[in-house]
Amino acid sequence: MVDYVLRRLLYTIPSLLGIVVVCFFLTRLSGDPTDLFLPIDASEEARDAFRVQYGLDKPLMEQFVAFFYKALQGDFGNSLRFGEPAISLLAERLGATIQLALATLFIAVGVGIPAGIVSAYYRNSLLDVAVRSLAAFGQAVPTFYWGVLCILIFSVWLKWLPTGGSGGLVHLILPATTLASTLVALLARVMRSTMLDVMRQDFVRTARAKGLGEFTVVMRHVARNAFIPVLTVIALQFGVLMGGVIVTETVFSWPGVGRLVIQAIYARDYPVVQAVVFFFALIFVLSNLLADILSAVLDPRVRYK
Amino acid sequence: MTIIRRTFLSGLMSVSLLASQFVGVVPASATEEGVLSIAQGFDPVSLWPNYSTTQEQINVGSLIVEPLFWVPPDSDEAQPILAEGYELVDDKTVRISLRKNIQFTNGEPFNADAVVHSFDIFTDIKTTPAYGRYSVVIDRAEKVDDHTVMLYLNQRYPALNLVLSQVFIVPPAYWQEVGGPDGFGSKPIGTGPFKLADWVRDSELVMEANPDYWGQAPEGIERVVLRPIPDDMVRASALMAGEFDIATNVPIAASAQIGGQSGLEVLSIPSYRIFTVSLSNLPGQESPLHDVRVRQAINYAVDKEGIIKGLFQGQARSLNGQLLRKEQVGFNPDISDYPYDPEKAKALLAEAGYPDGFDITFKFPTGRYAQDREVAEAVAGMLGAVGVRTQMVSLEPGEFLRQLSGRELQPMGYVGLAPADDPDLQLSQYRSDWRYSYVNNPELDTLIDAGGSELDRAKRQEIYSKAMRIMHDQAHVLFLYQGVDLYGVSERVDGFAPRGDQRWVIYGMSLN
Repeated sequence: MVDYVLRRLLYTIPSLLGIVVVCFFLTRLSGDPTDLFLPIDASEEARDAFRVQYGLDKPLMEQFVAFFYKALQGDFGNSLRFGEPAISLLAERLGATIQLALATLFIAVGVGIPAGIVSAYYRNSLLDVAVRSLAAFGQAVPTFYWGVLCILIFSVWLKWLPTGGSGGLVHLILPATTLASTLVALLARVMRSTMLDVMRQDFVRTARAKGLGEFTVVMRHVARNAFIPVLTVIALQFGVLMGGVIVTETVFSWPGVGRLVIQAIYARDYPVVQAVVFFFALIFVLSNLLADILSAVLDPRVRYK
Repeated sequence: MTIIRRTFLSGLMSVSLLASQFVGVVPASATEEGVLSIAQGFDPVSLWPNYSTTQEQINVGSLIVEPLFWVPPDSDEAQPILAEGYELVDDKTVRISLRKNIQFTNGEPFNADAVVHSFDIFTDIKTTPAYGRYSVVIDRAEKVDDHTVMLYLNQRYPALNLVLSQVFIVPPAYWQEVGGPDGFGSKPIGTGPFKLADWVRDSELVMEANPDYWGQAPEGIERVVLRPIPDDMVRASALMAGEFDIATNVPIAASAQIGGQSGLEVLSIPSYRIFTVSLSNLPGQESPLHDVRVRQAINYAVDKEGIIKGLFQGQARSLNGQLLRKEQVGFNPDISDYPYDPEKAKALLAEAGYPDGFDITFKFPTGRYAQDREVAEAVAGMLGAVGVRTQMVSLEPGEFLRQLSGRELQPMGYVGLAPADDPDLQLSQYRSDWRYSYVNNPELDTLIDAGGSELDRAKRQEIYSKAMRIMHDQAHVLFLYQGVDLYGVSERVDGFAPRGDQRWVIYGMSLN
């Protein structure tokens, strides 16, 4: 097991390095920050001074070598906009994003799993159809649309919740529910189908034959076993969640990493884009790894050589 | 089973407990007495106003750090702020007299040393690259006595007011102490009516009234709170939900709703941003556009009024067939827009040798200007109707700027330029050697040079109105429309008067 984990960890290194390289050249292909940082009618002299100051006048390969060497030591350089290390800007916003991601997971699991259980148990009933339709709807409606719609209903009309920003728990409700909407739907559907699989198993019939109550059979025997594959889905989705954060944070003016990176992309703030993309990639790779490990640990039938 | 039921029950309890916390909760930043709350598109990067020329950023910084002069929206005269006034000693020498008995909030005195120091920063292109276009005319500033500064220019410069109003005065000792722009930008000290109280990036910026302010403090405003809301629609919604007093740049789609809500109004400010389609006649960028008849045909083919009414619900203005606005020196009252006349357009195209029209590339940004893609599509459609078949190329805003300044936005490119409020700054963008000019006209170049060093107002008027005539008759661009900035404002705010470049000041504002 330890061997397996170590090997998987080693495998992540080339993919992370690859991401760093691709990200470096992609951002540079997409334009010159000088055009975005200085007013369009800035003088040629000012533009040159700006390029020299940030090392943008050097040949691309030279810039790359300097960047790569520093990145290996964990230094992604200073933000062009803020003049501060990109890593510390990232760290500053990380708390808000983690808060949002955890709240989202909490809602997604809290709503999606029970919905899946109910839907599977009463399969083909009206309730099941309702849950499945809602799930399809939730997955189909884009996050940004949900967000604006929720703001209109709950903030402008009902005046129950703030339109955005950060502060107390109230500020978390709308962004977390919005971000959770697709995840809830996914979890409900996966939970439902794995439940149906498990319910057909012999040990379930045995449990019933023992005379156990229906609730115990469903919750302790069926749901617990059905939850294992769902857990790996959750771990996998954590990486995807990071992508959703970009849209949600923008709609709800949530001061997290997603906001930081979208602004950095628009401004061609290379160091920040690189730091955040690397970080997201890291989260993605690690949550994939976690998913594999979890299923190995929880399901004795899964063993890795 | 019992365990599970108990867990379920306690879960239910905790959920209802959580819910009870929210009952009766009012949105956290609902407008409070004495607090002016503003929502704008993004958080400032720096509160040092000379850090960039981004107005939304300067607006915030200038509540703390003040300039020598301010040019109000309804005039082109410089109104003194930290200065008492200025006079021209000769064409290239300016004597600036300063107000007395003013201190920065850290106790440093405001005097000639501070002003000279700020001019030194302003003219250092490494520290202040964004203002290179203005500082290039300044040779040096010298102290005469504690309250007089002499400014020496490199050249005769008609737009002196623009330069004088853009220099913000910082305390020299503190500037050194915090290590220049980066340190100062996050913890600014100034002479202004407000002091920075708290700033959580991308979340909330709070300023408190400066109790020792030297001038007339804005009435009823004890605190200013700014929050960045990137999404236009959400910003408008937040205003309607009562969370803010002012929301900048609200979308046209929301303006009717805001205006219809009692207690709110929509302020519609004609912008300095002029929208055109460049029609390149540069050597090396060959296309049918080199023929003046083709360029005129394009101007006849597009229904400008239709675009203003249909796409902007009237929230844009027609251009009068020229780049200068009515309020500017050089506006030519004898010119009006090319009328919408597709038949004439077809005739001109035929005359130029294109009876069946031609194919041409048309580039435009998506997501940089209000309704940019829609305008580009409308223009392309109308051009198609007279036989100018455009191949449309949509550009992401950053790539758009790169192509614009690299002269790659050709042969046709939709652009909205917002130069500072002076005809020289507007027109020099069309001088044939300017970095992003797509116009090649030596006669125009001569006029641009003449206007750029002419101090006499009447003569400038003559020079620029001639230039307007040439640009119009030669149809060097497709004249589209003048933009409008929309602000949603609560009725408890008085005296909020933004300029057409989105700059506003707190002087004269008050809160009921």
